[in-house]
Amino acid sequence: MKVTIPVWDLPHRLFHWLLAASVTAAYITAKIGGELIDWHGRLGIFILGLLVFRIVWGFIGSKQSRFVTFFPTFGRLSAYLQGRWQGIGHNPLGGLSVLALLLALSVQVGTGLFANDDIAFEGPLFQFVDKAFSDKLTGWHNSTVNVLLTLLGLHLAAIIFYRWVKKTNLIVPMLTGKKAIPIDLAAIAAPHPTPAAGAVRFILSLLISSSVAWGVSGGITQLYQATAAQHQAQQSAQVNAGF
Amino acid sequence: MKRKLTLTLLLTATATAAIAGPVEEQIRFRQSAYSFLAWNIGKIKKQVVDHPETYNKDYVAAAANAIAAVANSGLGELYGDGTDQGIGWKQTRLKPEFFQKKADVTAVANTFNEGANELAKVAATGDVNLIKTQFGKVTESCKACHDLIRIKE
Repeated sequence: MKVTIPVWDLPHRLFHWLLAASVTAAYITAKIGGELIDWHGRLGIFILGLLVFRIVWGFIGSKQSRFVTFFPTFGRLSAYLQGRWQGIGHNPLGGLSVLALLLALSVQVGTGLFANDDIAFEGPLFQFVDKAFSDKLTGWHNSTVNVLLTLLGLHLAAIIFYRWVKKTNLIVPMLTGKKAIPIDLAAIAAPHPTPAAGAVRFILSLLISSSVAWGVSGGITQLYQATAAQHQAQQSAQVNAGF
Repeated sequence: MKRKLTLTLLLTATATAAIAGPVEEQIRFRQSAYSFLAWNIGKIKKQVVDHPETYNKDYVAAAANAIAAVANSGLGELYGDGTDQGIGWKQTRLKPEFFQKKADVTAVANTFNEGANELAKVAATGDVNLIKTQFGKVTESCKACHDLIRIKE
């Protein structure tokens, strides 16, 4: 006997698909380079916003989105590996994969903010570090790509494994938010917050994440505008010097 | 005392000569060339892409001409045998495969040269959109070469 219940709330699903799309686009724009490197930078800021959103949502989102629900503790992991784990949402191994992906993406975005490509691109926080350190972070930014590709490969392999071996479709629930589960499990599924409460939490998360993205992408720099103006004045003085 | 001084000077001269050998000299000159390119690339980026409201035709044209001049200066001469190892201003990041990939290198180098010449041409017209597009093509050729023969940090 199965029953269909809501598992992934709408913000969670939006986050997931926007992340998948923007990470793909960031990868492609970085590979092509040229004019597209500026879009790579913009995508990076957008991904930063998504990551902050997901972290906030991990505390105030609905049950399946919260870190406490799926945090892969040792007890949960061993129960899962012995086949004793029961639950809905991320299983402990899936939870581990989610945290690994969020961590790797955070490293990727964090290093990217300070990176430079030795051609015509500098991350928005490049000016706050020296060139040698930026070069080092750029190196990490390059090598983390392999970590991410590995994790994404595992992510996709798990989806295929569930589809063909365990006969479970993981993609449809991530689209519709609903999942058919055995009726005895439905009891442990907490109801989603009321739409009103959900909306308040969503707006709060959105405010926090967009503030961080705005601050990092240009807000902080604007606070240094005085310095920039001074620099410009110096520069035109030099031009006036005639060489 | 005098002998000691002579000896010191002689040793210093020998050491300097060893540091500034022909290989190191090539590496140092090419590192300088790319630093100079970076400066001029940055100038165009600033006035054409990031802050088009500050665009100054002469300023950008001067930068584009400088880029074309470096591109046409015969940089290939600075990539002699053994220059994948050595310290110029700093350790070179040239991949040893450079010497096996000469055909590919020539192809990307030609793309860069043609792109740089075209950039100088469009910079003279003062058409910001044309400059922006051509600038993107040039930086793409920079990346193509980095991907091919430059060791990642």
